[in-house]
Amino acid sequence: MNSPLLTVSGLAKRYRRGGKTIAAVDDVSFAIEPGETLALAGPSGSGKSTIARLVLRLIEPDAGRIQFEGDDFLALSGSALRARRARLQMVFQDPLAAFNPRATVARLLDDPLRIHGIASRAERPRRIAALLERVGLNADLAPRAIHEISGGQRQRIAIARAIATNPSLIVLDEAVSALDVSVRGDILNLLLDLQAKERIAYLFISHDLGVVRAIAHRVVILDAGRIAESGDARAVIGAPQSAIGKALVMATPKLHRTTAS
Amino acid sequence: MTALLSIRDLSVAYRRDGREVAALKNINLDIASGERLAIIGESGSGKSTLALAIAGLLPASARIGGRIDWQMSEFRSPHQPSCLRKTPLSGRDIGFVFQDPSASLDPVMPIGKQIAEVARTHLGLGWPQAYARARTLLERVRLPDPGTALRTFPHQLSGGQKQRVAIAAAIAAGPKLLIADEATSALDTIVQAEIVSLIRQLVSEDGMTLLFVSHDIALAAELAERIAVFRHGELVEIGATAEIVNAPRHAYTRALLDAHIGLDAEPMLRRAGASA
Repeated sequence: MNSPLLTVSGLAKRYRRGGKTIAAVDDVSFAIEPGETLALAGPSGSGKSTIARLVLRLIEPDAGRIQFEGDDFLALSGSALRARRARLQMVFQDPLAAFNPRATVARLLDDPLRIHGIASRAERPRRIAALLERVGLNADLAPRAIHEISGGQRQRIAIARAIATNPSLIVLDEAVSALDVSVRGDILNLLLDLQAKERIAYLFISHDLGVVRAIAHRVVILDAGRIAESGDARAVIGAPQSAIGKALVMATPKLHRTTAS
Repeated sequence: MTALLSIRDLSVAYRRDGREVAALKNINLDIASGERLAIIGESGSGKSTLALAIAGLLPASARIGGRIDWQMSEFRSPHQPSCLRKTPLSGRDIGFVFQDPSASLDPVMPIGKQIAEVARTHLGLGWPQAYARARTLLERVRLPDPGTALRTFPHQLSGGQKQRVAIAAAIAAGPKLLIADEATSALDTIVQAEIVSLIRQLVSEDGMTLLFVSHDIALAAELAERIAVFRHGELVEIGATAEIVNAPRHAYTRALLDAHIGLDAEPMLRRAGASA
């Protein structure tokens, strides 16, 4: 097996609230291989989003190590960190909250190309059109404002922006949770296609075990900041061993259809 | 079964940027007294507009056509013996639970007072009796330590606990109809299951009619006896839950069912797995 793309070991993050110290993330370790989807699942407050923010270095951990593409990711700073960040991208639940709503699609896709020096000014319009095509959108969407397009189109733009810098890992934090179900399947298929073609790894954060089981290779189930269990996504969700894993499976709504479709 | 309300040719349009946008188009629907009916749809389906129209909570600017006929005899109760109204009163006869409990609770008022106020306003109780009722309600929604909880503020509670308080306030006046509009959508899976089970129990104990508005057809199927599917402001189809789930008549309903990714769904990863 190759060396992992991302290795997280002994990660910890504590918050102080009302004079009490709360361990949001407590001794969490996992690894992601190139081209693999690792899901983080768990109830609210289990630490999934805190781990995402730690991996992205949006916040700094109290303890632990993060190895990314062979380097000590926490030791990087300045231009070295900026350069490496191009390889580690993110897509959040609500692109309208993450982006300036009045920005145009072209502007949102121009940013990463410009900031990371990926394409010259003259070349960028062509690159933007190519990005739109890669996420299944028409190039004539480029001049539209982000608030004018549909939720599904917005999430495709968020994915286009993430892949603009040729990342090896994308953190997807509840990236399909707010989408209508009729759009959700298309976005999941787009993510799987990109992964198959470009060998992108995903850290897929979701509360929805059905979706996790359908698209992730492996799953880590978290409870109160600690890993309750982990393993092959279908094996773990099919027969959870931890109390929280069992509770999550039990609580997932089930549609009892008697007829095949 | 007696119809609690009959909706006839109901249309609702909102004014947006000087244009009129139709949110509901010619809806005809009866809701039976004591039934649990789910309203299912994606964004823009009109499901929340229907809930607001039934509760009489549409904004004044909305243009409403058609009518809602209420069977007011169904609303007579020991609390309100001489009710002569033609339409039910929101907050007393109809309880409403919204998606975001933080938005429906007053952040600077202790939760006990917020629940007691509903009982005082609609049941004519004095403060001591209203507080006693609030305490009982907090027990019924299974908030830990209800006596102390009366004096807590919303920000001291978790999302699930806040939704329990919002439910307590919604049923404080003993409504005949409880409307839950995406009431569990902001909660995690485990808390969602707890709240759904709480709603089921309260509705059954109090003999309430339930209108459960949701985007999640699997969740709706677990709770409702009938499901109405909405799309683009129209009622696509309505039927018993087993019929809708197992023998949908409309292609859109079938598409919604097929789009559900349950724990028994075919893995989507297959192709990527084969190429790895």
